[in-house]
Amino acid sequence: MRLHELQHAFARAVLTGEGLPPVFRAGPVPVEAALRVHRNTVLGAGVNALRLSCPTVDRLVGEAFFDQAAAAFVRSSPPRVARLSAYGEGFAEFLASHAPAAVLPYLPDVARLDLAMDQAVRSPQGERRFVLEAGVTLALPAGLTALWLDYPADRIRNALEAGDDAALAAIDLTPRPRPLLVWRSGEASAIAAVSAPAAAFAGALMAGGAADAALTAAIFHAEPEEALAAIQGEIFGGAFCRILKGEQT
Amino acid sequence: MSRTPDSPAAHARPVPVPIPLQAGIGLRFPHHQAVLCGEAKAAWFEVHPENYLDAAVEVLERVRADRPVSLHATGLSLGSFEGVDEDHLSRIADLAARIEPGLISDHLSWSVTGGTYLPDLLPVPCTDEVLDVFARNVDRVQAVLKRPILVENPSAYLAYADSAMEEGEFLAALVARSGCGVLLDVNNVAVSAANLGGDAGTRLAALMDRVPAAAIGEIHLAGHAVRTLEDGTMVRIDDHGSPIGAEVWSLFETAIRRIGARPTLIEWDTAIPPFAALAREAAMADLLMAAGEEHHAAA
Repeated sequence: MRLHELQHAFARAVLTGEGLPPVFRAGPVPVEAALRVHRNTVLGAGVNALRLSCPTVDRLVGEAFFDQAAAAFVRSSPPRVARLSAYGEGFAEFLASHAPAAVLPYLPDVARLDLAMDQAVRSPQGERRFVLEAGVTLALPAGLTALWLDYPADRIRNALEAGDDAALAAIDLTPRPRPLLVWRSGEASAIAAVSAPAAAFAGALMAGGAADAALTAAIFHAEPEEALAAIQGEIFGGAFCRILKGEQT
Repeated sequence: MSRTPDSPAAHARPVPVPIPLQAGIGLRFPHHQAVLCGEAKAAWFEVHPENYLDAAVEVLERVRADRPVSLHATGLSLGSFEGVDEDHLSRIADLAARIEPGLISDHLSWSVTGGTYLPDLLPVPCTDEVLDVFARNVDRVQAVLKRPILVENPSAYLAYADSAMEEGEFLAALVARSGCGVLLDVNNVAVSAANLGGDAGTRLAALMDRVPAAAIGEIHLAGHAVRTLEDGTMVRIDDHGSPIGAEVWSLFETAIRRIGARPTLIEWDTAIPPFAALAREAAMADLLMAAGEEHHAAA
């Protein structure tokens, strides 16, 4: 068997439990038991990476449920690159279609927020600057992300982190738009709930849009005056934002 | 031109510092703070570079400011038929340029196929075809990193029927073909010997008979788990999650007596204990290394 065929077959055997061709010499450890060691290592590393990046999901569902769901995700969407800190894309969507998690419709949004916060804290220090008009520049954290959630995942996360069961029980889980901004603040990540125009404006800028295009994106969600007021108050007035004027730019 | 601590030159790239012939410690996240505030010290530290390819590099730069650092990769997948992931290699090269590590290493294994990364050190058959693949991939890595790397003997659970060479012969051939060095993991020797059948001392001797002593640039020490399967079969699992066992210490002494002192790493990756426990193992390794070096020099 050529090496590329062997490696494809080995990967299938590890991920799916499919048998391997008889390419091994008999030894003290049975082949299936040895393969199980590799399978446990691969799945365990993937599950552990997801647990580290999705602590709120882990707390909500408990270790056993998380292990089962995360291992199923690793089998269906194994890592693509050797940076497990970047692993997890698609986990929220997987949870949304994972039948045992159907009773927790907010779980995918909790995963989205967990993953966004994990990526934010791993983003480089620094700012991205956007020219608003001549002599006026907006500086935003380099890792700022706009999230469009349907459930108050931030409130769930805050209540769980505080161990506040009463606050957790009081959260209204009726689905409604919950735009959030997530960014790195020092050695941690921070969240702000914002209006849709403010999230659209920041999201468009961070996606590479010009100021005019970002404003257009904001106006899509509200009347121009309302959108401008939201940008003024929630972005320009945000703790994460700096407005540079004149020589500062 | 004078340089003040705040001048840009003071924050320039560190000068490469060789890894000393002493025991170092594998630095993991639970010990970051203790190391950064000076409570936890070691002659040198080794990290998995894959864990520092994002903002965590800021921590590693601060560690590197005080101590030599070695990069021990687990994801270059030197045995992949499809070659090395160029994007990943480029990230490792960028990290190496920032950190200027004393050593860079990875394993005699593979983990990437068809664009899927399997986070494990998977075994390869020791054949001519696989030797060609390793030589090509190691050449590529060394060309991008602009330095020789070390390749580690991994723990084995399976033996391929069509392996035409023993591990030592294969490593020696790779050294000859690519100019790489070898990272001798004596814990992996013990694990492989038990899992594949054979005596650990004999396996170590066979490996050192083949690989030139000058090519061995580092030694790893670690603990492993022993599990009993349902049918009573014992399997040793290389989990780096327990103290270094007596057998591994004995293999280490044998190796040092034969090849002399080498940079030696205390490696834990699971159930990581307080730093003081790692420091005690490092002190033990230094003691054995001094005695073994004396024996080696006399011989």
